[in-house]
Amino acid sequence: MKKHHISALIFLAIALVAAGIAGASFLSMRENEYIAKGPGVSEVKMLSDWFPALAGSPGDTEVYILRSESSNDDAASMLVLGGTHPNEPAAFVAAVLLVENAQPSAGTLYVIPRANNSAFTHNDPQEGSPQRFTIKTPDGDRVFRFGSRATNPVHQWPDPDVYIHASSGQSLSGNETRNLNRGYPGKADGTLTEKVCYGITELIKKEAITITVDLHEASPEYPVNMAMVAHPNAMPLASETVIGLEMQDIAIGLEPSPVNLRGLTHRELGDFTDTLPVLMETPNASQGRLRGKTDEALVLTGIDPWYVKAEKLGRLYVPYDGNGHPIEERVGRHVAGIAELAFTWTLNNPERPLEFSGLPSYAELLDTGLGIWLKAPEQ
Amino acid sequence: MKIIYLTILAAVLGLCLWNLFSAKKPSLQATAAMVIVPLLLRLFLIN
Ligand SMILES: [Zn+2]
Repeated sequence: MKKHHISALIFLAIALVAAGIAGASFLSMRENEYIAKGPGVSEVKMLSDWFPALAGSPGDTEVYILRSESSNDDAASMLVLGGTHPNEPAAFVAAVLLVENAQPSAGTLYVIPRANNSAFTHNDPQEGSPQRFTIKTPDGDRVFRFGSRATNPVHQWPDPDVYIHASSGQSLSGNETRNLNRGYPGKADGTLTEKVCYGITELIKKEAITITVDLHEASPEYPVNMAMVAHPNAMPLASETVIGLEMQDIAIGLEPSPVNLRGLTHRELGDFTDTLPVLMETPNASQGRLRGKTDEALVLTGIDPWYVKAEKLGRLYVPYDGNGHPIEERVGRHVAGIAELAFTWTLNNPERPLEFSGLPSYAELLDTGLGIWLKAPEQ
Repeated sequence: MKIIYLTILAAVLGLCLWNLFSAKKPSLQATAAMVIVPLLLRLFLIN
């Protein structure tokens, strides 16, 4: 054997080892993290139970059903979507907290913690995002994935140059074809992302979901932030809810769903179904453009000197100081918003109440932290 | 579509391997080895 063949074999072996280590790390992102079935969970279904074409696909995802004992076909219901964008961690953690703690006494709560399941299986390229973040509970660490904004290209490829939204013909940049919140109401024979949208729309129609809440986070420099966005049909409910939140000292804005931005939950689910759709945003530095070092600490605390500087320059839409916006605060805002939506609904519709207990208040979460509200990981 | 893509990918991977074994300078061999890593991950649809 020639000398350069021996060195080629050595380099090939190094390349195989590197591919093996990197491959194992990437593949580990496809394992779902642990979610405990809380005391209120009566059933766990899959989205494919409403749209069978999703069965076995990376878009299929768990639907946790928390039904009160008094619930019947006519009872009010709420669907909460966490993980529409898995790089918005407070949305995911808030949905998990609901599954593990909420106990409905009237009506039914549906929770999809990983709405875009495929997007949890990878990170956005060139963002330097952590793959995971850890929340300490009294009995051990809970690990959550920090995913991507969009469906994994391994599961849906290639992107077109221009993404054309199916039901409106609106054109957007090509990579938005993998953005779950641009695909509603979905398309039964469309892309994986459009199929997931279709499945969620089918669930809403078949279960006659009263209120749909889509949880998000936004960059601190994004204008729609610390806000509730509502479809016109949901505006009376949302405006009263926002007043209720302000009375708890939770500063929150109210935004009407733009008529000409298509494919979003708060637009299409209101136009195509009878549900009342709202979307909530909290400030998340770890997805922002102005952020510095991107690590687990940034995900959990939101502390970032560049955002403090940007705020001083008047470039942000949310207050920002050295305390950041910790995940307890962001999850607390989401959970308080959901509780207040249910409260406001019940106030106006006492004959069809929607009531759940077991959830921490905003002040309580800030005080106790998240750990005690998350179940110990399964051994 | 996916099959065409993977076929092109496999061909490029084959060329890289050929390059790795035909190059005589270690620096060129190292370059070929580095290019092989992402190609392998994509060929097996890992990333
Ligand atoms: Zn989002």
